[in-house]
Amino acid sequence: MIWTGPPSLRGVGRFVETRRLLSLVLIGALVWSVASVGWGDGVIHTGGSDALKAFILGLFPPEISPDFLKVVVAATWQTLVHAVAAITLAIVVGLPLGIVASGALGSPGRARLAVAGTFRFGLAVMRSIHELVWAMLFVTAFGLSSIAVVLAIAIPYAGILGRIYSELLNDVPDAPLAGLRSSGASPARVLLYGRIPMVFTDILGYTFYRFECALRAAAIMSFVGIRGLGFEIQMSLHDLRFNEVWTLLLVLVGLVLLVDYWSGRVRRNIQS
Amino acid sequence: MISAGHLVDGQGLGKAFGEQRALAPLDLKIASGERVALAGPSGSGKSTLLYILAGLVSPDCGQLFLNSLAVSQLRPGRELSEAVGLIQQQFDLVPQLPVVQNVLAGRLGQWGLFRSLASLFSPRERGLALEALSRLGIDDKIDQRTGQLSGGEQQRVAIARLMIQSPRVVLADEPVSSLDPAQAEEILKLLIKLADDVAGVFVASLHAPGLIREYFTRVIGLRQGVLQFDIPADELTSSVLDALYDLDRTA
Repeated sequence: MIWTGPPSLRGVGRFVETRRLLSLVLIGALVWSVASVGWGDGVIHTGGSDALKAFILGLFPPEISPDFLKVVVAATWQTLVHAVAAITLAIVVGLPLGIVASGALGSPGRARLAVAGTFRFGLAVMRSIHELVWAMLFVTAFGLSSIAVVLAIAIPYAGILGRIYSELLNDVPDAPLAGLRSSGASPARVLLYGRIPMVFTDILGYTFYRFECALRAAAIMSFVGIRGLGFEIQMSLHDLRFNEVWTLLLVLVGLVLLVDYWSGRVRRNIQS
Repeated sequence: MISAGHLVDGQGLGKAFGEQRALAPLDLKIASGERVALAGPSGSGKSTLLYILAGLVSPDCGQLFLNSLAVSQLRPGRELSEAVGLIQQQFDLVPQLPVVQNVLAGRLGQWGLFRSLASLFSPRERGLALEALSRLGIDDKIDQRTGQLSGGEQQRVAIARLMIQSPRVVLADEPVSSLDPAQAEEILKLLIKLADDVAGVFVASLHAPGLIREYFTRVIGLRQGVLQFDIPADELTSSVLDALYDLDRTA
């Protein structure tokens, strides 16, 4: 008879073995996938290293001729408008959906949980389709237009914001909520006076982050053919005008940095 | 059977959390004007009983009537908030809100939803809050973020909220446990006055026998969820209390 260890530890031993086996399998897969790349010829395609060099040199200096800058400003404005419209719509839709999905409203009971669960499911469906796929669907329906871009970003983003809002609203400490209830507050008033104030800064911070993402998404969208930063990047790249590409990239980076700075300022103001 | 005279009428109130029995079925009748102390070691069920009396936790068995109203039928709102209010041991305020909002939360049982929302932006009845806070000596903190106040100041904000709410049954969970004797007496006097002003009832959990004998009319001892004694406060002796807390003074 083989002694497999004291009875209480046998289950643990099996669990540990499974985890070790899994780690080995994953490491093996990583090693194999890296090794199966044909390092040597063909990783960088012919002429690629020259193009790469030319691209890097394009940064010095970036294109700043007035004619081109006019194009840049128009494209930036277009992207900004799309992003702002999309995130606004996402907030307007996502916040109420997130509140219901959190189960914070309604009298305690099975009905409320069922409703909350349904809304959680709806939010998950909204975000399961990537914005580019939504864009392709809407372009088919509405043609190349701003509506297509804005809706394509707003829908999954409403799903994302709604999910995060609902989790934030749910994860608050209970003692202050019990204090409000003891004063006679209904679930709606507990939400207004307790949950929302406690998570307001977090909601603000995450929403700003999503706005940054919306900027990137709007820039990418314009590859689909609606004018914007992505469209211009693609045009300039196609013509191998790397100086122009760099100008556009710097503007995109600048936009994101600006939003980040703005977000930081707002959060500091709130907290003081 | 509703007892016409008693403000608090609990029959067979019991509660278990999972397998843990927090409170064995207990009868409790309190008439207006009484001041009841709850004594007992931690885990004895004092907080559970207070939460049941406040309507925050439903008992597993038994019925509770406050002011002749069946608590199980009451939803949060005017009737419940006028009947009973509770101060928890700590941190039942919303730290991010300014003090004035935490105090005015005492009116949430009375205000409609729209009024509650509007008041968040422009506090209605600010004068009421100011008056309560100045009676407690902290009116200068009215616009400060509640989380920035000290523990003692936050307790006064909670008392101010209770003053605004003005319930007939005033409950307090260990209100003086972390206070020095002088502060303890001051807080007890404030809370008792709250109850007396509305011909109500005051129930608080605390340990100090001196305070119990001086400020309360009745003392209930709990141990591991079971009622040990329910006697007039002046009959409380050290040996009774020692037995409750299982203190071996002979060692």
